Amino acid sequence: MNYRFAQAELEAYLDEALPAEDMARIEKALRDDPKLAAQLAALNARRDAGLHSLGAIWRRHRLSCPSREQLGSYLLGTLPRETADYVEFHVQMVGCRFCRANLADLEAQQAEADEVVQSRRRKYFQSSAGYLRRRRR
Amino acid sequence: MPSSSQADKLLVQRVRSGEDEAWNELIARFEGRLLAFVESRTRQRARAEDVVQETFIGFLTSLPNYDPRRSLEGYLFSIAAHKLTDQLRREGRRPTLPLSPGTSSGASSWEPRAPDRPASSILRSGERRHLEENALAAAIGEQIVQWQRRGDWEKVRAAELLFVRGWANKDVAARLGISEQTVANHKFEFIAKLRSAVRKQGLPEAVFPELYADSAEAGREEGDR
Repeated sequence: MNYRFAQAELEAYLDEALPAEDMARIEKALRDDPKLAAQLAALNARRDAGLHSLGAIWRRHRLSCPSREQLGSYLLGTLPRETADYVEFHVQMVGCRFCRANLADLEAQQAEADEVVQSRRRKYFQSSAGYLRRRRR
Repeated sequence: MPSSSQADKLLVQRVRSGEDEAWNELIARFEGRLLAFVESRTRQRARAEDVVQETFIGFLTSLPNYDPRRSLEGYLFSIAAHKLTDQLRREGRRPTLPLSPGTSSGASSWEPRAPDRPASSILRSGERRHLEENALAAAIGEQIVQWQRRGDWEKVRAAELLFVRGWANKDVAARLGISEQTVANHKFEFIAKLRSAVRKQGLPEAVFPELYADSAEAGREEGDR
């Protein structure tokens, strides 16, 4: 096994679930280290064979993620101290990518101009509405 | 812990029946967080928007496979992760691994099935894996909620660093400012709970190697001392 990365970290890499900076670190290592690619392929084979990993299950089911409402309260500074400390730990130290995305979105909502958001949403709707209409046929 | 709320279920039901308004609402509710998730990797807004656009199309085309008991947000993130992976591979940033065929990288009901295994065998193994995963997720979730209710945040933190980040006992101990023995005890308690859940539900031990590894035994022995 490659000594630089823990198995749980590589599992998260396969699921595109590590923080962006850690994803980039593994991608960089992959370019120089064929053993790492083989290690990741072996992890994929374990999954195909039906083996589970606790970390992957924990992450996939988001078992300790705060709710979006709690993340909003965290930004407003209205969470009880112990809960706020845990949110900080989960987002910064564990680096939960999904909670980071929710926090970034909540922060952006306050900063972004409404017109820009509406135009982006219109674009998503127009490009996908054809698939919705097919459902009605 | 985010789960599929009643509001999400109703929204999906309306989307299933082809309501434009519901689809607009779903886009408005989730596009911001999906964009933030993708953009943290692409670092370019336009490319991130393209990936989110593909995510929404992927959601509509996979809707017949979506199980409404599953978190809607989690489902959308999983589609976005796969679309993002494809995009990064096309750009040459994410190397293609020599994958074995099958359903690796999690259960993705929206992906096409691998062509070289009969669909029925994939379905059977997928269902079994799903059941095992859901049973263990319920046991882990129950333990986390119990710790949180008791204010045992140290145990939640230790288990998360050990199993989600894969840190060694000594690193967890140093980070949390506790002894290695305390970390080993927390680890043993957690593993014992999960082993008990596996036993009660009659799940095969062999598919959860971390629960029956030597380190778990070592943790018990140290803890018993």
